[in-house]
Amino acid sequence: MKRRRSPAAKIGLAAVVALVAIYALFPLYWMIISGLRDRPHLYDPKLTPGPFALSSYNTLFGLTDFPTYFMNSVFVSIITTILTVLISVPMAYALVRSQLPGRMLIVRSMLFAYMFPALLLALPIDIFLVRAGLDGTLIGLSVVYLSFTLPLSVWLLWSFFKGFPFAIEEAALVDGCTRLQAVCRVILPIISPAVVTVTIFAFLLAWSDFVFSLILITNDSQRTVPFGLVAIIDMYDTDWGVLMAGATLASIPLIALFMFLSRYFVTGLSMGAVK
Amino acid sequence: MPPQVVQVAAGARRILPGVTASARRRTRTIGQRERGMFIAFLAPGVLVAIGTIFLPVIYAIHLSFFKAESFISTPIFVGLGNYAQMLSDPLFWIDFANSIAYSIITVALQVVVGVAVAMVLHQEFVGRNLLRGAALAPYILPTVVAAFVWKWLLDASHGLVDAGLLALGLPLVDWFGAYWTAWISIIFVSVWLWAPFVTITFLAGLQTVPDELYEAAELDGAGRWHRFIHITLPVLKPVLMVIVLLRGIFMFSKFDIIWLLTGGGPLQATETLPILAYRKTFATFDVGGGAAVACAMFLFMSGAMSLYFYLFPLDDSQ
Repeated sequence: MKRRRSPAAKIGLAAVVALVAIYALFPLYWMIISGLRDRPHLYDPKLTPGPFALSSYNTLFGLTDFPTYFMNSVFVSIITTILTVLISVPMAYALVRSQLPGRMLIVRSMLFAYMFPALLLALPIDIFLVRAGLDGTLIGLSVVYLSFTLPLSVWLLWSFFKGFPFAIEEAALVDGCTRLQAVCRVILPIISPAVVTVTIFAFLLAWSDFVFSLILITNDSQRTVPFGLVAIIDMYDTDWGVLMAGATLASIPLIALFMFLSRYFVTGLSMGAVK
Repeated sequence: MPPQVVQVAAGARRILPGVTASARRRTRTIGQRERGMFIAFLAPGVLVAIGTIFLPVIYAIHLSFFKAESFISTPIFVGLGNYAQMLSDPLFWIDFANSIAYSIITVALQVVVGVAVAMVLHQEFVGRNLLRGAALAPYILPTVVAAFVWKWLLDASHGLVDAGLLALGLPLVDWFGAYWTAWISIIFVSVWLWAPFVTITFLAGLQTVPDELYEAAELDGAGRWHRFIHITLPVLKPVLMVIVLLRGIFMFSKFDIIWLLTGGGPLQATETLPILAYRKTFATFDVGGGAAVACAMFLFMSGAMSLYFYLFPLDDSQ
């Protein structure tokens, strides 16, 4: 709806817009410039950036195990993402296309399971692993992450697939393709946007997890970034410059994905993909 | 199917019985082969879900009936003993009330803030898409990052917020040090982090409200506020209900943000049920007691989830 605004209304709107932008972004801005600020000036209540120095980053990389945490996070998130996509795409396809009894029960249980509190699963899994002598390894953590990435992915894909014109695969079948060929040549191109969305969220959820790594990871060298930042507080007292440098690096992969793939993000976010 | 088509189809079947019978037979064999493929597609996911979700929940329920002094000591069956102990512990009820209050207050504030921001982002102005992205940014951050950034901003000795208070000549506040300030800080950060979910969902809903409704109301002389109360809110009531239920379920079981900001302190002032379950298990090694708290939460939340499924049944139509 187009309407002409009075000058006063324009100024009012501009003020509100600025307020929303500051409210949402100022903490991120403060995080970034605190990480880059020269350490003697860290506690200056100065809102403009600088004086710049990389000393916090040097400490982060030189004196803490942050590089290890970061590589652990990359490893775990990628393994989780690959497993999630490989398992959930065929599963969701079968849930939409097959007439197998109990398929709605599976869909419903998946949505139900996605609402579970992380602790409800992490506590018994940990106690089981400790008693079985199989305490947390990174591969184990990646598999445990499937307990929330899989329900979310199956649920998202199921919702997307319902709306896709799968009838055209029948045309491919009539043309003599096997079902598997029809899937690869006809279906995969249609579903790829949905698969991109699921890939992003599997990665985001695995990358951001704190609860499961807190409970399942006992060895410092196996910590992921979120749990690793807590370790940095514990070990080096609270050094806000170093922590903000680490927090910035922990956010960069997600912010980069968000900036370049925002349209895939928005569909998932609006379905409640982040708890 | 229109009647003529049915007649033609019936006629064809009468004329060519052999053809359709063989076609049907072929469909059946394809169907069987496909059944096998579909089962193969489902099996890995179902197995993973059983191993990482179903069995742990069963194991948590099992553990809640046993008493164990540590992770490795032999558990002793105590029946409902852990539950009886839990229900007679005043701390459980305080934490339960804290969880309820935390979810109600944060969901209400998320709705107010989220809807207000959505209304701003629905206006037309230069750079609207950019601001829409910016307004969502907090929601994609890892909880740990959000918690640490706000801990730094609200730090009692060097934080920017207290520096601002000092500059304005106001008394300094120890944001995480006392009962009410700790709760206010936790609630503020939670709303900052999760209100964008309301914004994005409500914004999508706003685009479905027909413009004619607003135009008609405008002709009747209804002001902005009136239009919002009498058109926008009633039309988007179902959207709001989904938001409130989903966010309520998620907020009730939040562990990480409170744990990271205050650890449930000072002196258990900001402890909720998930923190109680964690503390029982890992601080006092009362595995059964921790499992009992987790199961109680699960039971309570299952009620809320059933309500969600009842109000918003899954649509299987394609």
